[in-house]
Amino acid sequence: MGLRDQMSGFFWLAISIFVCVESAQVSLGTFHSPGPGFLPFWAGVVLGTFSVLLILISILKKKGREKLREMWKGMRWKKIILVLFSLFLYILLLPKIGYITATFFLMIFMSGIIKRSKLWIEIVIPLITVLASYFIFDTWLGILLPRGIFGF
Amino acid sequence: MDTLHSLIYGFSIGLQPANILFCFFGVLLGTLVGVLPGIGPVGAISILLPATFRMSPVSAIIMLAGIYYGAMYGGSTTSILVNIPGEAASVVTCLDGYEMAKQGRAGPALGIAAFGSFIAGTLGLIGLMFFATPLAEFALRFGPPEYFGLILLGLTLLIYLSHGSVIKAIMMGAFGLILSFIGLDPINASPRMTFNILDLWDGIDMVPLAMGLFGIAEVLINIEESETPQILKTKIKNLFPSLLDWMQSKGAILRGSVLGFFLGILPGGGAVISSFVSYGLEKRISKEPEKFGKGAIEGVAGPESANNSATAGAFVPLFTLGIPANIVMALLFGALVIHGMRPGPFLLKDHPDLFWGVISSMYIGNVMLLVLNLPLIPLWVQVLKIPYRILFPLILLFCIIGSYSLKNSIFDVLLMFIFGIVGYLFRKFDYEGAPLILAFVLGPMFETNLRQSLTLSKGSFSIFFTRPIAAVTIILAIILLITAFIPYFIKAREKI
Repeated sequence: MGLRDQMSGFFWLAISIFVCVESAQVSLGTFHSPGPGFLPFWAGVVLGTFSVLLILISILKKKGREKLREMWKGMRWKKIILVLFSLFLYILLLPKIGYITATFFLMIFMSGIIKRSKLWIEIVIPLITVLASYFIFDTWLGILLPRGIFGF
Repeated sequence: MDTLHSLIYGFSIGLQPANILFCFFGVLLGTLVGVLPGIGPVGAISILLPATFRMSPVSAIIMLAGIYYGAMYGGSTTSILVNIPGEAASVVTCLDGYEMAKQGRAGPALGIAAFGSFIAGTLGLIGLMFFATPLAEFALRFGPPEYFGLILLGLTLLIYLSHGSVIKAIMMGAFGLILSFIGLDPINASPRMTFNILDLWDGIDMVPLAMGLFGIAEVLINIEESETPQILKTKIKNLFPSLLDWMQSKGAILRGSVLGFFLGILPGGGAVISSFVSYGLEKRISKEPEKFGKGAIEGVAGPESANNSATAGAFVPLFTLGIPANIVMALLFGALVIHGMRPGPFLLKDHPDLFWGVISSMYIGNVMLLVLNLPLIPLWVQVLKIPYRILFPLILLFCIIGSYSLKNSIFDVLLMFIFGIVGYLFRKFDYEGAPLILAFVLGPMFETNLRQSLTLSKGSFSIFFTRPIAAVTIILAIILLITAFIPYFIKAREKI
């Protein structure tokens, strides 16, 4: 846990410095008349202070020091990266090819990531899911889902 | 007498066919969500929140509340039969519930969990009815300094009661506040941390944040685990507990009900902490503490009663003060705002139909849950066998639609995706999402009340210490923060 805390501590310290700088640019005002940047600045200071504390505590802790490699032991990297990549691609393509097309391919891909199955099951279940969701959310509840170049 | 009249009025709303239907749908979904590991009431409510936009506010809250307390009933089923808690408030039920199931007593365990939940839920509702009105009247005296103090106390309590590191909880609270400040300043409309992105001028919405942190992140965590839970092969019989079971459990049920209700009121308290505290209490006062962990029925009755009673208690600060006590209440707070209602002391006066309608629906919902949970247990057991590869694309789909439907914006879906990664990393690096989301929800109120207070006092901070309620809450918050760090100081001294 020590190495993880150090890494995350530095990350949050960087975020806090960034927030403080951004807030100062907006106008801090004074203690008696806070400006728009006042509370974000002090929230950034609190975040930065405690991230420094976290870093110091993790450095001083001698027990339970893990190696970098051990931190990610047992993680199923490939599946996580595949899911995230496909989701990101989906978000980029959604406004272009429309909800039904984009979601259909996403569902096929996602269910295949966990476990492959018979081809017809891998196509039929996503198709039913997508069409049912379109009917429920777009037609019935009136949420206008993206149409794309195919018009649906 | 007024309370009785108001309750009758509430039933006239709760018993409307549409509201009965929404209540049923909510508790059914809540039970399903409670049974299924991998998605909890937070994820379910986040996902369904956009679907309530076309409903009336009363129906929306009835359904969403049904998901919350329904999940408490459902969570015990998997705890007892599979030794996997369906949701966090049922973790403790695994300890004795599963042992009872191994001893062939799954039926009484499931039965006492359901009946205990029903009794506690009913008692919690009675508490809600009798506490809310006087508290709402008292809260009318609150001004900006009092609200500032209360919110500060609420945030501090949440940090104090966090499961993990206090330092990390404070960092998450600070980050949640920072996220809430993104957008246009509420007073002079200057853009803050918008990076010239127009979509950020309105700030970050709670729905993509919650769906990302709790929905997408949960899916990513579950993808890493591939084991299908093994359901204990045991005959489920005698769902009605015996006289001996009742004699052994009655004290635990009553104590759990009272404890759960008051812990549910506390920000950061809620169902999870109530169940743990109840278990600890029952073990401590038992004449045979050694039987806990080996199938003690009190170890099921107490926590299951506490977690249900806590759901009723959690509504007290939301409805009367407009302060959400936990993540689920934060989501309901968001739902009320989206529906044009202002949670707080004026809610009972301006919208008595909402308050009393929801209370009456919770009575109705508790009865429905008792009926759903006992005879339908074999059905819920079959639900556990649904392969995760069918379930997780559905959860993703609902998260995507939910985020998009808020403003028909792809940007919100992108935000959900980003927070999904953030939520996943939080789990890996041991950070809790609860302080973040609560601070995010309370951030705008925190800032507005601070600035209004300073305007009232012409810039003097003494206003927070000259007004008694504000002073008490701020001093309490400071004391809590100091005591939260005592273990760190003791450890540091021991090392020296």
